[in-house]
This record gives sequence, C-alpha cells and structure tokens, in this order.
Amino acid sequence: MLRFLLRRLLVALPTLFLVVTLAFFMMRAAPGGPFETNRKLPPEVEQNLKAKYGLDRPLGVQYLGYLANVARGDLGPSLKYPDRSVLDIIRQGFPTSLRLGVSALTLGGVLGLCFGVFGALRQNSPADYAITTLAVLGVCIPTFVTGPLLVLVFASWLGWLPTGGLDDVRGYVLPVVVLALPQVAIISRLTRAGMVEAMASNHVRTARARGLPERSVVLNHALRGAVLPLVSYLGPAAAGLITGSLVVERLFTLPGLGKAFVVSALQRDYTVVMGVVILYASLVIGLNLLAEVIQSLLDPRVKLS
Amino acid sequence: MRPLLAAFAALGLSALILAGCKPERPLRASCPAHSLCLEAGNVSEPVSLDPPKTTGTWEDRIMGDTTIGLTQSSAAGRPVPGMATSWDVSPDGLVWTFHLRKALWSDGVPVTANDFVFSLRRLMDPRTASEYAYLLYFIRNAEAVNEGKAPLSALGVAALDDHTLQLTLTHPVPYLPEIGKHQTFYPTPQHVVERWGDAWSRPEHYVSNGPFKLARWAFGDHITVVKNPLFYDARSVCLDQIDYYPTSDAIAAERRVRRGELDTNADIQSNRIAFLRQPDQIPAYVHTHTYLGVAYLAFNSRDVAAFRDRRVRLALDMAIDRDFITRKLLRGGQVPAYTFTPPAVANYQPPPPPVWAGWPIERRQAAARALLAQAGYGPGHPLKIEIKHRNSPDPTLFMPAVQADWKAIGVTATLAQEEVQIAYQDYRLRNFQVGDAAWIADFNDAMSFLGLQQSQTGAQNYGDYDNPTYDALLAKADNEPDLGKRAAYLAKAEAIMLADAPVAPVYFYITKNLVNPNVTGFVDNAVDQHRARYLCFKGHGAAAPSGE
Repeated sequence: MLRFLLRRLLVALPTLFLVVTLAFFMMRAAPGGPFETNRKLPPEVEQNLKAKYGLDRPLGVQYLGYLANVARGDLGPSLKYPDRSVLDIIRQGFPTSLRLGVSALTLGGVLGLCFGVFGALRQNSPADYAITTLAVLGVCIPTFVTGPLLVLVFASWLGWLPTGGLDDVRGYVLPVVVLALPQVAIISRLTRAGMVEAMASNHVRTARARGLPERSVVLNHALRGAVLPLVSYLGPAAAGLITGSLVVERLFTLPGLGKAFVVSALQRDYTVVMGVVILYASLVIGLNLLAEVIQSLLDPRVKLS
Repeated sequence: MRPLLAAFAALGLSALILAGCKPERPLRASCPAHSLCLEAGNVSEPVSLDPPKTTGTWEDRIMGDTTIGLTQSSAAGRPVPGMATSWDVSPDGLVWTFHLRKALWSDGVPVTANDFVFSLRRLMDPRTASEYAYLLYFIRNAEAVNEGKAPLSALGVAALDDHTLQLTLTHPVPYLPEIGKHQTFYPTPQHVVERWGDAWSRPEHYVSNGPFKLARWAFGDHITVVKNPLFYDARSVCLDQIDYYPTSDAIAAERRVRRGELDTNADIQSNRIAFLRQPDQIPAYVHTHTYLGVAYLAFNSRDVAAFRDRRVRLALDMAIDRDFITRKLLRGGQVPAYTFTPPAVANYQPPPPPVWAGWPIERRQAAARALLAQAGYGPGHPLKIEIKHRNSPDPTLFMPAVQADWKAIGVTATLAQEEVQIAYQDYRLRNFQVGDAAWIADFNDAMSFLGLQQSQTGAQNYGDYDNPTYDALLAKADNEPDLGKRAAYLAKAEAIMLADAPVAPVYFYITKNLVNPNVTGFVDNAVDQHRARYLCFKGHGAAAPSGE
C-alpha cells in the first residue's frame, strides 16, 4: 500500500507539471491580456503595469520564473486585484465552495444511494420507474433551470429562503439542493445498475444459500460490490463540486471559487487562473487516488499495483 | 428500507421547520439595533479600494462614500466643494490654488495639503503602475514623471501650507472642479500609506476622510462601511452602515431588490426595463437617466477603400433607423444619437444634429441611395461589408436592425460576433470593416468624447479620422481658459467631424438603477453618482448636508 501511494505521488508530479505547462502557454496564447479593456492605455502606463508584474520579460523567462515560484509554494500576485495574492483569493473563495460542495455531495450521495438501492430491490415496479424518471430528469435539466425555478418557488413565492447571499445557514439550502440534484440522479442510476448486477451475482446467491437475513445480504454483500463504479465516479465529481460552480455561484451571488475562476479567465488574470488550475488538478489527482484506495478496501479483487 | 424512510422523514421535518419560520419581513443581512443599514447592489467586486489602483465605477461607488476629494458630487452629481472650500485660478488658467478645510482622517490625524501632494505623486509614480494616471497628464511634468523620466518632486503640485494646495498645469483645464471629484484626485493618508505600504488599503489599516469608513471586506461576498464620526459633516449623514454586494447577475439582483433583501442595485438588465415599468411590476423602483456614454459604429477607412469616400460613410450613417433601435428594441429610454457627445455633458452644448436627422426614414434612405450611387455603388455594383460586433446583449440585439437598414439601401452586410475584449483588440489592430463600439466618458467633459477622433489618439481612433482643422480646434480648446469660448471651439469641431462621419453614433447610454421607493435622497443624474451621504429611509429625516 505504502509503495503504491509513493509511486502514485511520484507520477502525480510530472502530471501536475504537464498541466501547469499546458495551462500556462494556452492562457498566454489566448488573445487579449490582463490590461486590455475598451480603453487603450498610453504606452508608458502599460509599460509600468507590465514591468510591475514582470510581463515585459520574454515568455520563456516568465515561465521558468513562474515554475520556480510555484515550486516554492508562491502562486504570485493577482494581476486584476492588485492588493491580493492568488493564495488570498483561493483562501477566501475555497472555503465557501468546499462547504457547498461537500454538503451537496453528502446530500446527493445519501439520497442517491437510497433511491438506487430501493429501485434495484423493487426492479420494474412503479416506484422504480418513478425513481428512474426522476433521475433522467435530474441529469437532463441543467442547474441554470432548476436554480431559478427553486428560487421562484421557495424564495419569491413562499418566502422561506433568501434568493441569494450567505447571510446565515438558510442561504445554503437552495444552492446545495441545486448542486445535489444532478448528483442524486447520477448516483442513483449508478447504484441501481450496480445493485441489479450484484443481486444476481454468485456471492449474493451464496450468501442467501447460507441463510443470511435479507438485510445483511443487501447491505453487507451486495452493496459493497455495487458501489465500486460509484466510488470511481465520485473522485473526479467531488473535485469538480468542491472547486465551485460558476452557474450556482452567480445565480445565488455566492463568494465561491468557481466564479473567481471563470471571471479571471475572461479577464486574463493569468496568475489566478493558473492557481485555480493547479488546485483543481491536485484535487483530481488526490481524490482519484483516494477512490482507488477505497475501492481496494471494499473489494478484495481490486489490487493496488 | 429504513434509510429511505429516514431520508423522507428528514426531508419532511426540514420542510416543516422551514414552513414554521416563514418571515413577515424580507431576509435582510443583520443590522445593529437602532441603526439604518443600506443594502446596496454594486454590480462587481472592486479590484482594490486604493484609489490609484482603481478604474471602475463599482470601486468609485464605495470610495466616493469613504473619501472626499478636492471637490465632491452633490446629490445631483454636480461638483461642489469638498476638501477644498474655495479656489483661485491665475488669469492664464495654469495655476490653481485650492484652500482646504480643516478636517480629520478617520483615525483622528488632520488632513493636510501634504496628503494631496503625496497622493498625486504616488499616482504618477511609475512603481504604482496606475492605469488612470494619464487622466491627470495635464498637471505639469506628470507625463515625464509617470514615464520615469523626471523625479516625483518635479510634479506640478505643491503644499503652500497645511491648508493650501497649488496645482500647476500644462494647459488650462477649466473643468478642473469636475475632474477634482474623480477617483484619481482622492487623497490617501500619507501617515498610513508610509506605515503599511500597499497593505494600507486592507480593512484593518484603511483610513479615510469621508462620511463612511471601511469596516469589513468579505472578498466576493460584501464590503461593509460604517458611519465615520470624525467626518467634517457627520451630523448630516443619515445612514449608519452600508453593505455593498458584487451583484454580477442583474436578474438575481433584481429578485433580491424585489424581495427587499437589497435596497438598491446599480444595474438593470436592459431588456427588463420596459417590463419592470409595467403597472403590475415595480415601476416605482426603476430609475433611468441619460448617461455619459455613446454606442457607435466605426468605419475602417484605413483598409476598406469604400470607406475612404465620405459619401459612403454618410450614406450608411443616414440609413440607420435609430428611433426603431431605441424605441422598439432597447426600450429602456435610450436616446437616439445624432451627435457624438451626449446632451447631458457639462459645460457644453453639442452642435445641432445634421438636417437629415429630422427627415422620415424613406427620405433618408433615398438620399443614402443617391450618395451611394454617386460613389459608384448600386444594384449593379453593390457594397458588401462585414460588421464586427461585441457579443454583449445590447449590440447582439440591435446589430441585425442595422444590417436590415443597410440592406434597404442596397448594402449587403454580414455580422460577426466576438467576445468584448477580443472585439476591441481587433478594432485597435484595424482587423475589422465596420466595428460596433461604445465609449463611456472618464469624466463629465466633451473632451473625453471628442478626443477619440483626434488624429494623435492612434489605436483608439478606430475610424482613423485625420482632419487638421478638427485637431487644430481641439488644440485651441485645450489652450482656452474660458469655459464658454472653449465650448464653442469644441462644438465647431464636433460639427465638422459629424459631417465627415468617420463614426456613426447610434444611441446614448442610460443609467440603470433599481431603488426601493423607501430610500430617499436618490437623484438621477448624468454621472450616475449617488453618494450615500445624501441617502436615507422614509420616516428618518436627517439634517441637510451643509455647504450645498
């Protein structure tokens, strides 16, 4: 196990390096720049700005300098928010996105698992069809539709919840539900498929033949195998969720990282984009690794190699 | 299945709990007892609250509440005395002496003329890399200082004593009181900036001289300012606290204003204005006013041979049905533009619109066709062009109308959309034939508009207009200390430019504010400045600000 982890971490470094390199040059290849707006700056002003952030040096030098800084854990200053470093921006946006993402993932996971197991056990019953239909709807209807609909009903009509902002815990309810809905759908579909397969498998038949109670058969024997595909889905899905969603953050005016990321890409705030890319890539790598470890713990057939 | 039951039970329970707490009043942010808090939608997140590092109106809306410049905005957006109570101008208009009032920073230290000297030098210091520094290049040696070719001490600004500030200019700037309230002129506290460096603008160090002081900045969430008891006119300030929210989504902000979660929002999505004004919607909330901005089309006369012919440009200019665009498409109260400078500009009267502006559209089309025929274009040899436009909502809405207007005079135009930033970059590189652009004035003066078509403007003179008479008139205006004479030179120049049609103005922008009718003291104005020191809530009168 330890050897496996060490080896994967060693592989992760070149992967990260590649991501950073690609992102750096793609960002610079995009037309425009951080100081270009509809106002053309006088050359001396633009020169002052570029000199301040080292953007007047050759691209290769900037790249090497950036790599050296990142290796030291310094993601640089934001080009658009002169008072803030990239770390400041991540530190301020990430907790909100993390809270929202983890809550949505938990809600989606619990509901999705329940629905999935229920559907698989009552295969082709009306309840199963109802859950399947809901799941298909949940996947198909995008958050920018469900979000305003829920706001309309629960905030504008019923007045139970605020339409936006995070002034207290009630502010979290709608964004979390909107983020969780597609997860409920996908997770219930994955669980149902896995459960149907597992219930027909030899080890479940053996368990039943040994006369184990149905509850133990389902929870201890079938479910363990059934959640394997779910675990490999959840790794990258979690990375996406906890780094924030532009749509939900805009819709509910939340101070998360998703909005910061897209806005900085549009404004060509190179350093902020790079910082978020590095964070996201590290999370994807880390969570995928975690998913593999969990899989090996759940299923003895999965070997870490 | 027990987990399922439990989940349903939990859901049902939470629904009950939520149902139980249906509020009578809107869910507003917390406000200290017996205080008046304004919840203000500010559209965007400020990049900084350090004046020389900002260029946005969303930064100025906050800094304008915490800071008072040489002059300041009245409730109606006009310049009135600020830190300077009066000023003297030398006969040649080049030396301005400002007499400053006795006032304190929010930490109790007196505001002096030295703070202004320090702030202006810091603005021009190349190491500050201020984007807006060029606005004050009219101060003597400012450009050289900003380029790093002259020491900071060479800047034409001096403190004669603690309360007398002297500015020396390179040319007369009779609109100095107007630009004196601009964010580039905001004083920064020397003693604080020298102590903390660039970190001085963090909430824990921020010190200001205005009616409010910075209390909290939750990045991306909200910024809170509270009443500054040391402000020189603190007793006239009604509000105790203001929370500014970066409401980047205008529709979401509209919902929050409707629900009473926000009191104001500084933007409305254009195509919602007509809807919101319906009697069963929120007509009393909708505020619009002519703004200092113009939407226009530029003709690339450098690379498109047809556009070097004035008759072609004029024909295309004439054929645009601006009434249709403003009344039927935009519907927010935008004003058709037949001049480049909006009528709301201070100290200026735009020239009368061209005669054809009053003709019915059929007559204009006939005249345009005749002009095109003279230039050699007609059914046998039609003019084919491409219009490049920004992909933002308004241009996307009205550009097909322009396309149809030009089709009516036999011109085939295709449309190409681009991301806003990319479009402007293409215009600067002249990588376009017809370009859709907009200009919002930096400050309330005609020069901010007419300077665009000066030949020396270069990249941003998208139409490459180059008329020595025009340039000479602008130069003459720049050297004229008398506001009236200056306005006459500028109007003459504008008339000449409009007749040449290097650009076709389409409509003037409007200010778009949603304001809860409970908020008092909100006055619509052309500069869209609504300082919170004048605002209050119904039933909570405050003494009128002094010095008005």
